[in-house]
Parts: sequence; C-alpha cells; structure tokens
Amino acid sequence: SCRISSDGKPAKFQPPPKPVIIDKQKQREERRFLSPEFIPPRGRTDPLKFYIERKDMIQRRKVFNIPEFYVGHVLAVTTADPYANEKANRFVGICIQRGGKGLGATFVLRNVIEGQGVEIRYELYSPRIQAIEVLKLEKRLDDNLMYLRDALPEYSTFDVNMKPVSHLDHEEIPVNKLQVRMKPKPWSKRWERPKYDIKGIKFELPEKKMKEAQKWSQPWLEFDMLREYDTSKIEEKIWKEVSEELKK
Amino acid sequence: MMPIWTKSGKKHAVTLLKVQDCHVLRYISKEESGGKTSKLLVGGKNASPFFKSESAMKIFKEAGVPRKQKVATFNVTDDAIIKPGTPLYAAHFRPGQFVDVTAKTIGKGFQGVMKRWGFKGQPASHGQTKTHRRPGAISTNKAAKVYRGKKMPGKMGNIYRTSFGLKVWRINTKHDIIYINGSVPGHTNCLVKVRDSKLPTYKDCNKNPPFPTFFADGDEKLPEDLYDKEIFQFTDPSVTYA
Repeated sequence: SCRISSDGKPAKFQPPPKPVIIDKQKQREERRFLSPEFIPPRGRTDPLKFYIERKDMIQRRKVFNIPEFYVGHVLAVTTADPYANEKANRFVGICIQRGGKGLGATFVLRNVIEGQGVEIRYELYSPRIQAIEVLKLEKRLDDNLMYLRDALPEYSTFDVNMKPVSHLDHEEIPVNKLQVRMKPKPWSKRWERPKYDIKGIKFELPEKKMKEAQKWSQPWLEFDMLREYDTSKIEEKIWKEVSEELKK
Repeated sequence: MMPIWTKSGKKHAVTLLKVQDCHVLRYISKEESGGKTSKLLVGGKNASPFFKSESAMKIFKEAGVPRKQKVATFNVTDDAIIKPGTPLYAAHFRPGQFVDVTAKTIGKGFQGVMKRWGFKGQPASHGQTKTHRRPGAISTNKAAKVYRGKKMPGKMGNIYRTSFGLKVWRINTKHDIIYINGSVPGHTNCLVKVRDSKLPTYKDCNKNPPFPTFFADGDEKLPEDLYDKEIFQFTDPSVTYA
C-alpha cells in the first residue's frame, strides 16, 4: 500500500534529509584573538625593533598569564604595593580603554567606590602586576567607553567582591547592546558629535541638537586612501609567530 | 624607545641603538693629528661605493672595507689602538656603563624666536598692534650696538648635539643592539656616535671593559642578552615587596 501521487504513478523514493554536523572543534580553532598591542603602528621604525619587543612580550606571557579581554569586560587586577597592608592591592573595574603598543600597552579600569568614581591605568607588562582575572566577559557596542564618566554612576558601579561569571571557551563573547543614560549636559566631551561615533548612549537630546551635531561630520574620512592601514596580513604573520612561541 | 622595569618595580624609558657594520678605518698618530692623544677613524653603516670621488674612497680601500655612510673620530690612548679593518660590535659596551651619544638633531628649518630660544612673546590682546611673537628689544641704549650671538630667528636644528652620562641597561649580542637610558638626539633610524662618558662622576664606573674592544673570533663566548644587575628580566616571576 504505497501512497499514490496525483499522477497515479507510485511516489519516487525521497531520501531522508542529511543531518547538519556542527564540528565544535573546528569552531574553537577558528576563533583567534591577537592582543591589539602586538600589531605595530604605521611608521618608519625598523621592523627589527618590533620583533625584539615581541620576543620580550612573549617571554613575559609565558611566565605570567595575560587573559584575552576586550573593552567592556570587568576585570580584577592585583598589584604589588609596598605601602598596602598585605603588600598587594586588588582593584575591580570595567575596562574602558586599551591603549599603547608593544611593551608599554595599558588599559584603564573604572569603578565607583563609595560614591567616588575611580579610574586606574595599568600597564599590561609591568612586573608589579600579580594577577589579572576576568570576572565578566561581555563586549560593548564601542571600543572606547570614556563616556561612562558622564553617564549615571549606576552604569560604572561593580561589586568589589563579585564572583567570576563562568564562560565556555568555544562560545562567542556576548555583545551587550546596552544604551547608557547620561547625566545632564555639560559633558566632558561632546559625545553626540559624529567624530566619536558612539552607539552605546541613549541620547535624550532634542532633535535640533542632534542635527546640529551632524554639522561636524566628515563623510569623506572613510574614503581617504592615505589613512588606510590594512593590518590583516601583518596580523596573520604575527599570530602565527606568537602562537608557535607560546606553545613551546 | 621602549619601557624597561627595574627589580624594585620602577619604569625607565630606553632607546635602542643598533651597531650596523662598524669597522675601524684608520689610525692617526699623536704627532700627525697634532692633538694630545692619537685618533682612530671609525665608519658605520655600509653605503654604495658609487657617487663618490676616488680620493674619498681611498680610506675605505686601504682598510679593505665597503664604503661607510658616516665616519667619526675617537680620541684613544696609545694602549687602546686597534688595527684598521677590524669590525666593532655592540659587545664593546657592557651593561652598567655610562656613555655619551652624539647625533645631528632633527632639523626644524627657519624658526622664530619663541620656538628657537623660548622667548615669551607678547600678549594676544589688550591693544598689541601686529606684535605677538616678536623678540621685542634687542639691545640697550648705552650699548649702541647689538652684541654678537644675540638670540634671533634663524635655522633651528640639524646640528650636532651630545647627551651626556646615559646608562647602558642591556646589550643584545645577536642583533648588536644597545639599550640606552633616556632619549638621544636625532630622528628615528639616524646615525649616532656612542662614546664612553667623559663626565668626572662616571670616570671609574666601568670595571673590566673589553679592552681594546670585543673581538668576535676571540675565545670569549657571550650569551645572547647581557643585562644590568638591577633590570627585571621577563624570565623572573612578578615583583613582590616582602
């Protein structure tokens, strides 16, 4: 008793749909992260200088683990301090900026402690840092969260004794599409202007002010060929070099 | 320039200088030069032998060395004379030594008196007529003349200047690189003359330097990196204050 199609002939054999196999191993390998301070800036310096600096950076990373982190992560950093009680100082905060290249790479952590906003700039390769722990992994919509200084303090407060949130290695880092509410103007910088290109603020300004801010837009900048700096090939080479050295 | 940390956790900025194809070119005796000590001509960085006259190339041909871009003179005592044609390496210097570095400063072109000599200029408003960056008075009434050497606008930079008493923190023998404390005159990748410091405070600082110089084909086998004893090496664990 086979099913008869509308033509009257017996139905052709339809094979079952092929199962879609997601290879988690491959996905894990595909995600490569090269810390931004490894990429050399554009200039006339001899590449030998960057090579020697990279050797020192890799040497430090072999002894001390610097985890992968982006702007927007909540980190806890313990530094050695000769004037502190336990000779060690622990600070928890959200990373708002990552600057510098090579051994002088820095990152700024911000937190609000007892109503006072505190920002500390740490050097990634400084020997005084004892440990860096990533407490919460989440990327934000921007690369630079300096506008948190003019946002309501609730967006910069993080519990000092917060427990690290667990995160699986192969999952993608979640992007928090939070739109931050700001304190009333004046701000330290005019964040509504297109040169900062901030997507993470909920602007409650009147339409007229937003239109006026667009007067300072420079739409030709993205087409400027002299400003182009394609780092993809350099990144590939450096990624191979760094990962091989770290595996040894 | 690069940061460097000491064992106490302090950060210092360091300039990297590369010793690129340095050879001794000629020995000039005390009587020939007419000075107090004999001199040694040293050349750095190979350059093309064309576009130079035969008389200029004579020195390089006698030493048996390709044409060098820069030739510098060093005053040496008679027991430190080296045979012309010997190569010089970065291991000639040792960490913990103090050096003087001479180079041509970055040329800024014709500059006014405020940038060149640091004059204060005049206020921007309150009735100043066309006078905001001018030198003002250049002499007194009684002098009735302008003294020689009066600071005035002119070409600034592109002259030889020396930074004295810079400490050598680290030496890389494989790539011939010297790590020197602080900044050094000149633009990036410019040619620079490094000499043992002649400041009276650092007269006895260097103990057992390689004398007269470090010979690569000699018996001494140096490790790839030579560090000063106060430097924090990245192979050590993080610094703690016990």
